[in-house]
Amino acid sequence: MPKQPAVPKNRRKNKLEPYLYLAPATLFIIIVFVYPIIEIFHTSLLQNTASGIKTIGLTNYKLVVQDPVFLEALGNNGKLLISVPFMTVLALMVAILLFENTRGRILYRGIIFLPYILAIPVVGQTFVYLLGLNGILNTLLRDFGLGFLTIDWLGSATWVIPSISLVIIYREMGFGVVLFLARLMSLDKETLEAAAIDGANWWQKHLYVTLPQMSAVIEFFVVVELITMLSWVFSYVFTMTGGGPGFASTVMEFYIWEHAFAFRSPGIASALAVFLLLITSVLIVLQFRVRGRSLEEAE
Amino acid sequence: MKTSLRVITILVILSMTLVACGTTSQNTPVANAKVNLTFWWWAESDAPGADAWMTETVAAYEKIHPNVTINIVPQSTDTLISAFQSAVTAKSGPDMASQWATGPLLGFVWQNAVAPISDYVPSSEISNWLNTNENMYQGKLWGMPMYLIGIDVMYNKTLFAKAGVTPPANGRWTWDQFMAACATFKAAGITPWVEGDKDGYGGAWFFSNVGIQTLDSTDDLRQAVIGKKSFTDPHYTGWYQSLDDMVKKGYFNQDIMSLDLSTSSQAFGQGKGAMSFGTDGMVKQAITDLGSGNVGVMQTPLLGSGKLATAGNATQSTTFFITKWSKNPQAAADFLVFMHTPDRLASWYKHTGVIAADARFNRSVVTDPVMQQMMTWETTGPQVWLENYLPGEVDTNADLAAGQTIFAQSGSPTDVANLWERAASTWRNQHPDELTNWQNWK
Amino acid sequence: MKPGNPSTRLWSFLSSIPKHIILIFFSVVALYPVYYMTVTAFKTRQGWLHDQFGLPIPFTFQNMIDAMNKGNIPLWFGNSLIVTIASLVASTIVSALAAFALTRFHFAGRSFFYNSMIGLMVIPPAVLILPLFVLMVNIGLINTLPSVIIIYSGLLIPFSVYLLVSFFRSLPGELFDAAAIDGCTNLDIFLRITMPLSTPALVTLIVVNALFVWNELFVALVFLQDESVKTLMPGLTLFKGHFTNNEPLIMAGSLIATIPMVLLYLFGQRLFVEGLVAGAVK
Repeated sequence: MPKQPAVPKNRRKNKLEPYLYLAPATLFIIIVFVYPIIEIFHTSLLQNTASGIKTIGLTNYKLVVQDPVFLEALGNNGKLLISVPFMTVLALMVAILLFENTRGRILYRGIIFLPYILAIPVVGQTFVYLLGLNGILNTLLRDFGLGFLTIDWLGSATWVIPSISLVIIYREMGFGVVLFLARLMSLDKETLEAAAIDGANWWQKHLYVTLPQMSAVIEFFVVVELITMLSWVFSYVFTMTGGGPGFASTVMEFYIWEHAFAFRSPGIASALAVFLLLITSVLIVLQFRVRGRSLEEAE
Repeated sequence: MKTSLRVITILVILSMTLVACGTTSQNTPVANAKVNLTFWWWAESDAPGADAWMTETVAAYEKIHPNVTINIVPQSTDTLISAFQSAVTAKSGPDMASQWATGPLLGFVWQNAVAPISDYVPSSEISNWLNTNENMYQGKLWGMPMYLIGIDVMYNKTLFAKAGVTPPANGRWTWDQFMAACATFKAAGITPWVEGDKDGYGGAWFFSNVGIQTLDSTDDLRQAVIGKKSFTDPHYTGWYQSLDDMVKKGYFNQDIMSLDLSTSSQAFGQGKGAMSFGTDGMVKQAITDLGSGNVGVMQTPLLGSGKLATAGNATQSTTFFITKWSKNPQAAADFLVFMHTPDRLASWYKHTGVIAADARFNRSVVTDPVMQQMMTWETTGPQVWLENYLPGEVDTNADLAAGQTIFAQSGSPTDVANLWERAASTWRNQHPDELTNWQNWK
Repeated sequence: MKPGNPSTRLWSFLSSIPKHIILIFFSVVALYPVYYMTVTAFKTRQGWLHDQFGLPIPFTFQNMIDAMNKGNIPLWFGNSLIVTIASLVASTIVSALAAFALTRFHFAGRSFFYNSMIGLMVIPPAVLILPLFVLMVNIGLINTLPSVIIIYSGLLIPFSVYLLVSFFRSLPGELFDAAAIDGCTNLDIFLRITMPLSTPALVTLIVVNALFVWNELFVALVFLQDESVKTLMPGLTLFKGHFTNNEPLIMAGSLIATIPMVLLYLFGQRLFVEGLVAGAVK
């Protein structure tokens, strides 16, 4: 506990001082977050008619709910969410392998993390070529005698979302590997060695000893990636497919953008934004779980 | 002052300066009557060579008018409409822009984003321009045509000979004859039709060339757009069954969904298919690639029997117009008119092989018989490019999406018909103001 | 089993081979797109049509030169630089001040503000974008760099505050108490103690945030439509849309856009890694 300072402080100044420090941040937050969030609720109740802007209550929401493309967009985001477990398992596996191999660890880690720093438009455009009918993937399939499996990956309504998932995994996995590796290197080595001496094989050792100790960071990664699949995939869709074929790769962010800027339907775009906000709010709960709650807890 | 405070102050001032630099460079006041024009330009995809022509044109114009600087911003096909829509919503953007004629352009006219070019150009000049009817509304002309393209079926004579298929004597097959030919090609191991539908425009070309054939007039289409008739009626969407049939029989290239239109027409030029749709510019390119004796043109096979089945499909395609917010509309108009001076018209043809939409254009420069044939079709009789008669959103959500659904085989023709009607009714519900305009139009 | 025993060393070497194979596999997959982009950028168009996958023979610099001249890549590059630097300066200063308040003082609304930061990190930009667009149009900042600088700064603040709070908390309280007793004002403490001590955290924060702003597409696409203000990423998509058939040229443009971050990465890999991991692994 601090001793009574020699110089008495002005109590009124003391009270306001923290708010002064917070003021600039608060201003930005209000402009960039608070105002828009309030606005989308407001605009979602409006419609442009021939005689000006009218308030139409919940009609926009009704139109959205009846729109099959809306459901398709939700479904596409959902399909992206499914890739998160795969990504997590892959990243764990690679991280564990890196952990066990001291030789070349930094080099491997450096290479595997590289995709994460590449820009999405760059990665997306490159993969458009790589996944094309004569791109490297299909060419390799043909070379290995699996020619019947070649598909126009980004042009197929069934495979376009899995293909986009692949590109997302390509980038995000590096983050997971680095995260998990950092945690692994801070684990207690003796427990692992004890398990090995006890006769546990590779799988058992990691399943029962390593993983439980990593549950916090695994959970963290999963939540971050779930959020990514809802909130940060616009660039992939915009760069690689433009939402197509048809609407097969339209996701919520993209549909909002289309309505706001291509179709000039601010009311619908806002209603869609409200839906997206509500859905992501569910993830806020998870977010708090993994990022720790209050300041007091740590003190 | 303490060091850290000094550092922070410097940093803050630095960032404010950077921010100020960002803004000042755009707010530099124009001195000495210097005029700066920005032109959002699109034509290269329709008429390869157009970009080079425009560079030449700008240089020529700036030489004559040293106080004018013209800034050409090339546009992407797939964001042509949405980029300009964003500019309209932002109420700021270029002085001149490009949009597809009729429906798309009028959509922006109704949003009060276009300054009618007839206000800035004398009618003596305008009377030389062709196909101006595509952009007339309320007695004014809203944009300038530059070129005329038609889209016909280009075919590879060598591959035809190889498979033993004879092209139609009168320049046009019936649908049955067409199907028989496709079957023959397929049996001979030749891809009957190569096309690209990655961005949806391959399918849109089928709509404008095949889908049009059951209709009697553009007003016929408008009835369905405004909801008086339904798109689920086979009158409007029954033809997708034939397209679906072709896809199922394997008459298209396997990578149709990976290629866009310009890539697929290049594929045709590499001999990857017996037939493809081609604009004049694409046909010219194919002649260069395959050799002039090896390329022929025919009209779209006849499937429907509406009045529009025998209409041509020439359109100016792209219209160049002045934006409402331009600070220099007259200067913009002067530049646009410059594009129609004789030297520029001749140069246009030389670069692109596409005829200019001007009566003063000397047609005798068109010497290749194939190009002449296309030109004849494009300038004889009624001409309708059907896609221009849809609201932009319906074009994107129905026309483009429908074609992609069929080519990617992710839905049936019935699904596609429903998709059309749903897209149209969604548009009607979401944009009552635009609906009113369409109801009152014509 | 002693670690030095030759047979155990042989065994661990042999059993590490499949692991290395897997790691090599992932490394190749990670590098291949970069390889592809690089070799394509230096191929002629004919060379690319002939052989998509091999080395560039014949080798040409022309695409790199064209990429700089056609389109406006240098201009966009400059804009990206301005936007990145300005957003980073603004957001870092503002966030540091806020984090300092949150860790140093006790006051009403403290928890609320901190928790809000955590919650706001989840909000998709797509939700915010239309109202912000209308706002920028109405205040006349649309198509100007300040519009995106403001937005990026705002978007960076929640994470930055969160990270800095977690770091500031780890600084020993005795330092501050001693300084307070010596008569330093809080501002003094902030500037002369907290900030200098936080240099490592600030550096990693800046690196991570720079990555975000430099690579960002969505916001820049919407707010910067004028050629003169476009940043690199939306500029690239325009570039791609216009030169669709010239793959080597497009890849050359992409390569130029990627080089800064890759260079930064090669020299400061540790910074990236630590920065992104920070706040997650305590």
